[in-house]
Amino acid sequence: MAQSTFPGGGNPFGPGASGGIGNVREEDEAADTLGSSTGPFGGTSYTFGGPSASQPPPAPSSAFPTGGLPDEYNTARRTSVSAESLNPTSEENDNWKPPFHKKTADQLSRLRSAVSSNFLFSALEEEQSSLVLGALVENNIPAKGIKVITQGDAGDYFYVVERGNFDIYVNPSGTIGPGPEGMGKLVTTIGPGGSFGELALMYNAPRAATVISTEGSSTLWRLDRVTFRRILMDSAFQRRRMYETFLGEVPLLNTLAPYERSKIADALEPRRFKSGDTIIREGDPGEDFFLLESGEAEVYKSDAGPNPVKQYKKGDYFGELALLDDKPRAASVVAKGDVKVAVVGKDGFQRLLGPVEGIMRRNDYSKVEETKQV
Amino acid sequence: MAAALKNALAHPIHSNKRNSQYRPPPINEEQKEREKRFVLDFQNKNISACPDTNTSDVKERALGAASKQLRVQDFDLVKTLGTGTFARVWLSRFRGQTSECKSKVFALKILRKVDIIRLKQIEHIRNERNTLAAVAGHPFITTMITSFSDKDSLYMILDYCPGGEVFTYLRRQKKFEPETARFYAAEIVLILEFLHDVKGIAYRDMKPENILLDAEGHVKLVDFGFAKKLLNKETYTLCGTPEYLAPEVIRNSGHGTAVDWWAFGILVYEFLVGQPPFWDKNPMKIYEQICGGKIRYPQSMAPDARDIIAGLCKVNPAQRLGNLTDGSAGVKNHPYFKTIDWDALYHRRKKGPILPEIKHAADTSCFDEYEDAPEKKSVYTSDMAEKYDKEFKDF
Repeated sequence: MAQSTFPGGGNPFGPGASGGIGNVREEDEAADTLGSSTGPFGGTSYTFGGPSASQPPPAPSSAFPTGGLPDEYNTARRTSVSAESLNPTSEENDNWKPPFHKKTADQLSRLRSAVSSNFLFSALEEEQSSLVLGALVENNIPAKGIKVITQGDAGDYFYVVERGNFDIYVNPSGTIGPGPEGMGKLVTTIGPGGSFGELALMYNAPRAATVISTEGSSTLWRLDRVTFRRILMDSAFQRRRMYETFLGEVPLLNTLAPYERSKIADALEPRRFKSGDTIIREGDPGEDFFLLESGEAEVYKSDAGPNPVKQYKKGDYFGELALLDDKPRAASVVAKGDVKVAVVGKDGFQRLLGPVEGIMRRNDYSKVEETKQV
Repeated sequence: MAAALKNALAHPIHSNKRNSQYRPPPINEEQKEREKRFVLDFQNKNISACPDTNTSDVKERALGAASKQLRVQDFDLVKTLGTGTFARVWLSRFRGQTSECKSKVFALKILRKVDIIRLKQIEHIRNERNTLAAVAGHPFITTMITSFSDKDSLYMILDYCPGGEVFTYLRRQKKFEPETARFYAAEIVLILEFLHDVKGIAYRDMKPENILLDAEGHVKLVDFGFAKKLLNKETYTLCGTPEYLAPEVIRNSGHGTAVDWWAFGILVYEFLVGQPPFWDKNPMKIYEQICGGKIRYPQSMAPDARDIIAGLCKVNPAQRLGNLTDGSAGVKNHPYFKTIDWDALYHRRKKGPILPEIKHAADTSCFDEYEDAPEKKSVYTSDMAEKYDKEFKDF
């Protein structure tokens, strides 16, 4: 019943954890939290990538143009996966704050560079990144020969090496065996700045390797999945609600249903400006609509002299008439200090909700002229 | 547990029908007969069921309602159709000597409470039952006729799809002919349109393994373990199948029904190519590729197929086909589907491109063989029952 999950693989992670993908059936949403079938996959970018990394990844294109399947492709049934239920509005999360463990500037910069190559971290916003780094907790390994991770066990933590070296062993059976040989083959060693176990940040999959300390007084930093995913969720949740609130205050859009507002919130893209940057230039064709997320900006009009005619602060919006037509901008908006805005263009808006004119027609819209600024 | 059950049920019918230890009182035999009749009658109209005719029918509206009278002892468990960590699906029929009992078969999904709790799947199981109840009767979705429970387990009686998984045919053929792929894709569009636009439900586990074929070669979507009614709010729990996860699920930035359109794009690609576009031995590399969103197409793929896949697999959900202002109509109106008569498709006027070779209603030759269930390991204790049974009250 347990088929070889990755036929043809010389990959030590190939043969898979007990069962493997092959034994999961269509009615099974069960193995999710166990993630049993995902065990056969490699474990981390750095470590467990070791031997398999030397093989070129089977890019889908390698199958073309002949159309045949690359040997490596797993043709067995695939198991579903799922992580712990996360719900930002539930009571238990109401006062949740990510744990914070103080670190020196040196430690922080080492951590930052250690995780920089990992795509889960590299796309984080500065605020999220700080929370995540702050949540990493020190994990001292006092002696040689301590198993930090045991192949086949449940995976809950991601690790970064601060001090010491760690050997990575893989047993081709997918699970650690008894006795000294049970760990399988030494595939690589990870030193300071390396990391391992990142799949645990997605869901609970069995560990693909055993990781063991090679010297006394080693130090790791570790981060658990629920903390990581809650930080991501909470910041996304807060940003969405903030955008929806902002959008609710724009008269041009006040006939939008809540779900329409949340669609637009989805389409808003963050953009940053440095002090003195021009966000909108008077006379340019208007294309985008802006929400001021943080910082301040000043409005200038060429016929009003050198002084700003208006200030914008957090929560203000401008350029909304660009959603309506292509008329030139009536004023310039310049960043005063660092500014973060959320932007949606006319095209993006129309793709999601159709023409703004249609939305305006939903009720009498006399306010437009009054609020017209730029 | 299931094996033990099967053995228990191997006795002559009359010996345990009235003495079952599983049967909590009270049983109302009259009501039980009515419920049994309801399940049996479902078979008569099963094949060409259409929701527009169903909704006006009071009897059909009862589809999916929980039964308080039926017991697992009322059924013969004939053969395993599929297994999971806490679920096993059996081909089953009512015990009894009448030709009706013998000829009408069902898929009986049995879920062990203790495993559901151990695997933290309570919420998903509840979502599954309630979603199936809400969508019962759609021509391309497996119909939950009724559900019930006993001390240890939950049960769902589903219509039996003798054709087996689309997955099996796809792997056998390596890839589908363009017209075969288009036919299945179109029927799935109708499913997603119904789930999203009518029911506000995100399915969240689209893949060939979850699409079965009925006797006429039409698709039936099964396994609603991750389906969720969204009420216009985004949701955050990671779930799905690695190769089919949408970027916003991986990034945990909040997701909605748009994840089904992403997975639908992956599905059409896999139909046409034989493997999904994002693949690596290391799952983290799959996720990195997914978030990068770069898809390579074989030269043999038709331009309109490439174009619809590219539209569906936009990393930014705000630009994703199916999630734009025209919703699922945007997908239906895409040139890839220009030859599809949507109304005829919905009313099942033509048979599917692959007709399962089925000799009789209970033929299981399209399903793989499964080993007997392992002996039951853990017990659902009365302490657990006290704590958790309220979670299962919908069954």
